Amino acid sequence: MDTILELRGVTKRFGSLVANREIDLTVKKGTIHAVVGENGAGKSTLMNIISGVHRLDDGEIFLEGKPVNFRSPTEASKAGIGMVHQEFMLFPELTILDNIMMGYERTGKLGLLDRRQVRAEVEELLRTYNFNIPLDELAREQPVAMLQQIEIVKILYRGANILIFDEPTSVLTPAGVEGLFRAMRFLVSKGKTILFITHKLKEVLQVADEITVLKEGAVVGHTTPAETSEEQMASMMVGRNVMLKANKLKKDRGRPILQVTDLQARNDNGIVKLKHVNLTVHAGEIVGIAGVAGSGQVELVQCLYGLRAPESGAILLDGDDITRASCREHRCKGIGLVPQDRMADGCNRAAPIWENCIMGYHIAHGFRSKWLIDRGEAETFAQRVVDEFSVKASSLNEPISSLSGGNVQKAIVGREFLQENKLLIMEDPTRGIDIGAIEFIWKKIEELAASGVAVLLVSQELNEVMEVSDRIEVIYDGQLYDGGLHGELTEAQIGLLMTGGVEDAAEK
Amino acid sequence: MRLKNKSELLLETLKYVLAFTAVAVIGAALISFQGAAPGEAYAAILQGICGSASAIGNTIRWITPCIFTGIAATVAFRSGVMNLGIEGQLYVGAFAATLVGLYAELPGWLLPLACLLAGSLSGLLFALIPAVIKLVFRIDEMITTLMLNYVALWVTEYFTKIVKGASANNNSKAMATPVIQESAELTTLVPRTNASTGIFIALLLVAVVFVIYRFTKVGYEMKQVGENLRFARVGGVRTTRMFISIFLLSGFIAGLCGAVEILGVYGKFTPSFANNIGWDGIMISMIAKNSPVGVALASMLWGALKAGALQMERVTSTNRLTVELIQAMFVLFVTIDYRRLWGKWKDRQPRKRTAGKGKEGGIC
Ligand SMILES: Nc1ncnc2c1ncn2[C@@H]1O[C@H](COP(=O)(O)OP(=O)(O)OP(=O)(O)O)[C@@H](O)[C@H]1O
Ligand SMILES: [Mg+2]
Repeated sequence: MDTILELRGVTKRFGSLVANREIDLTVKKGTIHAVVGENGAGKSTLMNIISGVHRLDDGEIFLEGKPVNFRSPTEASKAGIGMVHQEFMLFPELTILDNIMMGYERTGKLGLLDRRQVRAEVEELLRTYNFNIPLDELAREQPVAMLQQIEIVKILYRGANILIFDEPTSVLTPAGVEGLFRAMRFLVSKGKTILFITHKLKEVLQVADEITVLKEGAVVGHTTPAETSEEQMASMMVGRNVMLKANKLKKDRGRPILQVTDLQARNDNGIVKLKHVNLTVHAGEIVGIAGVAGSGQVELVQCLYGLRAPESGAILLDGDDITRASCREHRCKGIGLVPQDRMADGCNRAAPIWENCIMGYHIAHGFRSKWLIDRGEAETFAQRVVDEFSVKASSLNEPISSLSGGNVQKAIVGREFLQENKLLIMEDPTRGIDIGAIEFIWKKIEELAASGVAVLLVSQELNEVMEVSDRIEVIYDGQLYDGGLHGELTEAQIGLLMTGGVEDAAEK
Repeated sequence: MRLKNKSELLLETLKYVLAFTAVAVIGAALISFQGAAPGEAYAAILQGICGSASAIGNTIRWITPCIFTGIAATVAFRSGVMNLGIEGQLYVGAFAATLVGLYAELPGWLLPLACLLAGSLSGLLFALIPAVIKLVFRIDEMITTLMLNYVALWVTEYFTKIVKGASANNNSKAMATPVIQESAELTTLVPRTNASTGIFIALLLVAVVFVIYRFTKVGYEMKQVGENLRFARVGGVRTTRMFISIFLLSGFIAGLCGAVEILGVYGKFTPSFANNIGWDGIMISMIAKNSPVGVALASMLWGALKAGALQMERVTSTNRLTVELIQAMFVLFVTIDYRRLWGKWKDRQPRKRTAGKGKEGGIC
């Protein structure tokens, strides 16, 4: 097979930090090439260099044997390299077709926009690559998996031969992941080349042809799925053996902390998303909620955290009615939240790390004075977050956007964990985190619960729910079903509950 | 870390110096185009800024409202509240202060204090209107504040007529309220000029706002709300209350500015007296990148140029508008992202191939 892309000695520095160190990488045409590594290993940086977002400080890149040096993403795109970023870059109020052609419109006579021509081209693409996308609907109305497909078609429309995906699967449901992989294989069979980053090693074995492992900015290994295993890759990445198992401690279940009775709520479009939900979480207990995305998890968390007013029902925290309390009251009463969307809800990317670390703390716990922010105390707390959750940061005064994706997540998790809450609600706490750090965060969750905190874990990863939870609840169509205690039901049984298997069983 | 900040500071300073030079050159061209000698005109400007005691007084007079409106804009914009109604809030505040100054009977320093309070509270109440409209009807404050500027302008003019009585001359240029009681006026700093103790109120305000942003929880929240509203909400900031408070604070400061203008400078309310001072504040907060200390510095420049421009018009044939044009261009030059531009330009240059590795890339 021909080499399509070759990197030689690529180095990228941010100030004194070397994000990529003399990287050599050879990508063969028509393959899926996976890049794995710990958080902050330099994966995104490397992809950003290839796609023209960052410029390299040293080294050379050859595209089909010819040296290239992209000065902007546009140039890379002209040369046939396109990247699907982790945060989608779509205009919510435009139609899908308009989103796809944005910036690359075709013009007809008199320089007028030729939508018909564009539509024909895009439809041709959809046919060739087997996508099923409603071109005239608004982007805002589409689910995540669809948005991702739109992004893919967008770069195909721009003529990409090499497609780069930065953690494409972390936002997808298992079904969405399957769909993506099918699309990826199909693209490759049509001669496209794919570079992709993930933290889920199972996926790597499942879909990749070649694997490159990065550690601390340098390439530490190159292998293929046939030659390696999850364990081996993990130890290559992290430098030790990783057993992705939660080590359950013996805990005393205390009094009920969160009591939800008969909760009912609608989403923004007026559709009933929660139907008579009853839920209790005790002190020292980890309750996990498993479910297919869109079954009402989002609305449940919003209700529990004061972001959405329920229609009926009651929510008690340690006996206090908090059904209609504001977020601030939730904070003050000792409820923490690790939100699902880390960039939109979890942090302020323009602000320094320390400012991001004290959000919430400044209201509920921190500072001797009622009015003032004690800079020393703020930095001490932020430093604790960074230290205890091994956030790779050079200085607390750097903007949080200079951290790698996984490190931002770790900082958010750390901030919520260290606030001495009574109840901690977590949505996908390990999204975008490397397996070494997942193990570590699972351990932290366990310790937190052992110290008497009630934990509610909502996760798209069934594996995570099953490993970490003491008790599992399954949400299906706005209702909760008993998923048993830790280890009581098998993955298959819970999977069945998640797709409404109970009702079928009851009917029969 | 510190080093980086230092070089950043250097770059920033350089930017202002460059912008200033560029504007001076363009200004010179404009002035000679009007048939005057640029050197002479600039000398006149300088004369007008600090050539004499009264010139300095005049400069201080103009710096004062610039600081107020600049801070009013900064407080709003930094938190993402698009209050374009500073001008209107200023009129309402000025009018209210005039009324109190005319009719209230209070001893000693209580009277000016009452005037200032009346002005700022009216500005605050007037800012409450767009805030409520936004919360109840979801109409963007950018539109409502803009429209309410006209409301303020015409309503104050109407009330000026009422105060003056039915016989008032309809020519709005000549129309004004009677002069306020002397005991209501602010102390003049430089004799025979309009420089008043208002400048101290302005500087105090800068200090207070600086402290709020730097050291208080409220200031921290105000910043987060502006930079990521959803993050702030999840973090427990009362965002609705914050929105209203910021709107009110901005209106309060604008109203205070109106009151200080009346008590310190005009002594009576003339319709449309403010001449876009409210808009100047928005420009100033842009130059200052929404930093309170920056506002103080930018206001000094802005106010000085304003004072100088008047002098220039007096002694040369150059139009005062030239200076306004120059000021506007200065804003333009300062708000350009030079680093981006430089990067673009550098990228255009053909890159020299470095033979072999190991050579340190010096720049960046
Ligand atoms: N713009 C930037 N300024 C300064 N440092 C940066 C910047 N972007 C990345 N870094 C640093 O470079 C290193 C590599 O970051 P990168 O985003 O490439 O990691 P990653 O491998 O993608 O990690 P993750 O799995 O967490 O996404 C990190 O230590 C990060 O802090
Ligand atoms: Mg990354």
